[in-house]
Amino acid sequence: MIIKNVRAYYAAGSGPEVKAVDGVSLAIREGDVLGIAGESGCGKSTLAAVMSLTARPPLNVKGGEMSLNGKTFSLVEQAKFPRDWHGKMVALLPQRAMNSLNPTARVRDFVVDVVRAHDSTVRPRAAIEQARERLEQLSLPARVLESYPHQLSGGMRQRVVAVISTLLNPQVLIADEPTSALDVSSQKQLVLLLKLLLECRFITRIVYITHDLPMLSNIANFIIVMYAGKVAEIGTTQQIVNEPRHPYTHALITSTLDPDLRVREHQLEGIRGAPPDLRYPPTGCRFHPRCPRVMEICSREEPPIVGEEERYAACWWVFEQSKTAGGKEAQS
Amino acid sequence: MTRFHSYLMNKILWFALAFCIALTLNFLLPRLIPGNPVDVIVSEMTTGGALSSEAAKGVYTAYIAEFGLDKPMHEQFLRYMGNLARGDLGISFARSPARVQTLIAQALPWTIALQLPAILTGWTLGNLLGVLTAYRKGVLDRGVFPIFMFISSMPYYCLAIILLYLFAVHFTIFPVAGGYSFAMTPAPTWEFFRSAAEHYVLPFSSLVLIFIGGQSVGMRAMSIYELDADYVRYSRSLGVADNRIIAYIFRNAMLPQITGLALAIGSMVSGALITEIVFSYPGIGSLLFGSIRQNDYPVIQGITLLIMIGVLIANFLVDIAYGFIDPRIRARTIGER
Repeated sequence: MIIKNVRAYYAAGSGPEVKAVDGVSLAIREGDVLGIAGESGCGKSTLAAVMSLTARPPLNVKGGEMSLNGKTFSLVEQAKFPRDWHGKMVALLPQRAMNSLNPTARVRDFVVDVVRAHDSTVRPRAAIEQARERLEQLSLPARVLESYPHQLSGGMRQRVVAVISTLLNPQVLIADEPTSALDVSSQKQLVLLLKLLLECRFITRIVYITHDLPMLSNIANFIIVMYAGKVAEIGTTQQIVNEPRHPYTHALITSTLDPDLRVREHQLEGIRGAPPDLRYPPTGCRFHPRCPRVMEICSREEPPIVGEEERYAACWWVFEQSKTAGGKEAQS
Repeated sequence: MTRFHSYLMNKILWFALAFCIALTLNFLLPRLIPGNPVDVIVSEMTTGGALSSEAAKGVYTAYIAEFGLDKPMHEQFLRYMGNLARGDLGISFARSPARVQTLIAQALPWTIALQLPAILTGWTLGNLLGVLTAYRKGVLDRGVFPIFMFISSMPYYCLAIILLYLFAVHFTIFPVAGGYSFAMTPAPTWEFFRSAAEHYVLPFSSLVLIFIGGQSVGMRAMSIYELDADYVRYSRSLGVADNRIIAYIFRNAMLPQITGLALAIGSMVSGALITEIVFSYPGIGSLLFGSIRQNDYPVIQGITLLIMIGVLIANFLVDIAYGFIDPRIRARTIGER
């Protein structure tokens, strides 16, 4: 799946629009788990809404297109996507599974509605049977089908939602902070479930959105770091965690807790300030007011992209570094 | 299920207690109205000059004794309760020797036939309008909905009088008063039904038009709230059909509306009092109005008893209906997980 140059703005009363996602492109290959990381307010969930085709006013998609399985559609008119794309091509694993199931319907009734939305010839009984089989394959109790959402625990509800989202074997699963409301053991179970879903080849690609970098390093093999609606850095999980280039990525990583003995004694650094008001994004590089490596040019001009398609950072400082490094190589 | 039974018993006990208190008030309140019913009757008799003051005094004491008004209050109360236990509502003071049961039985069908269809039609149309304005927006939300809001914000007798003036007095399309032509007596004939239908249109539409706005504003607000719920977004993301999603919303937004419906039906008997008076409709409202003017205690008590029972039953049914619509309320009341 490839998405190109997505721009999605929130209409904000009479004032200027909130540029929540501004020119993001990404690609994800079959079998990959792509992580998207960043602070809250950097456009992750907005991007998830656009990719899962659920953007609705006041969120307006201003530009961008999506290619999947050889078909390309403009993301601007989300309502014009064929019905089959919803749930069968891209499916959403939502942020608040607690409230994502209709409180007055049994799980099995919702399963019937989901399956029959894509093939009305399926009998309700067959749809329930399909879900029961899937639950058993994933070693989850089939009795949840008979339950109302309020009868399930928070972790179980999130796992059930994950099973329903993937019931139609979607090409891409967009997981939008699925673990943010869960305790640590439920988080682990959900990650194991997602890995199992990949292993069984029920789904082939996951876009996993979170602010939790350590969690991401457990499941993702590629990571995109976003800041203020733009991509700051892209790389494999190893590259992002071990050799971060962008000062923002570096700051994110040094502000996570690590039980490693060597770092135990250190004071966590954190990042000064707060993400910018996206109605009036900073000029040039959007990170420059908070950046420890800020240079004079950063506030004037958009940062250049330094690196290749699958491993780059958008930063003036990185650009300077690579020039001097290149210069040194040339000298020696 | 035993938990459910004890819940039910608990509810029934509370309702029985409320019923007893209401019965007592029901007895006391009409008697607290200043004036004496027998005065009214006797003064009506003497205005024609047909009775000498001597005879009037005789009639007066005879009526007082007949109605038991010479007895102390507590004795009257015991007699009232005793009669009630036998299902006897007593004799009308003003229209004696007619029994209260008979008077109510004559008026009640008219009220029910007017109100029940009006409430159900108004409720259904109002809720549909509410969901659709929330879901479709556009003209419905900016044109139709405000018109009904305007109508329902006037007192309901105002609309009744406006309709009466427009369609019965100015354009004489519909008859001015009554439940049927004054020249007829109720009988199962074709002409009688035709006449009843003609007299039905104005009071019925005045009630329905008022009801639609009140219902749709609640339903619209609830639906807008539900439209924003996570489960709607999630269902859409999986491609679930629009009519299924509207069905989810409808069910979840309906709880407060059910209360409104049940209470409207429960208080139906008293609900259209003024409508009935404006249109001189031969229902409970007109009967109650007449009885209050004449201090006709037994009829007033009989009707308020009816209203009370209606409201209590409606409340009881609402409690039960909630459990059926929302499994979370059911779980909490019977204590299951």
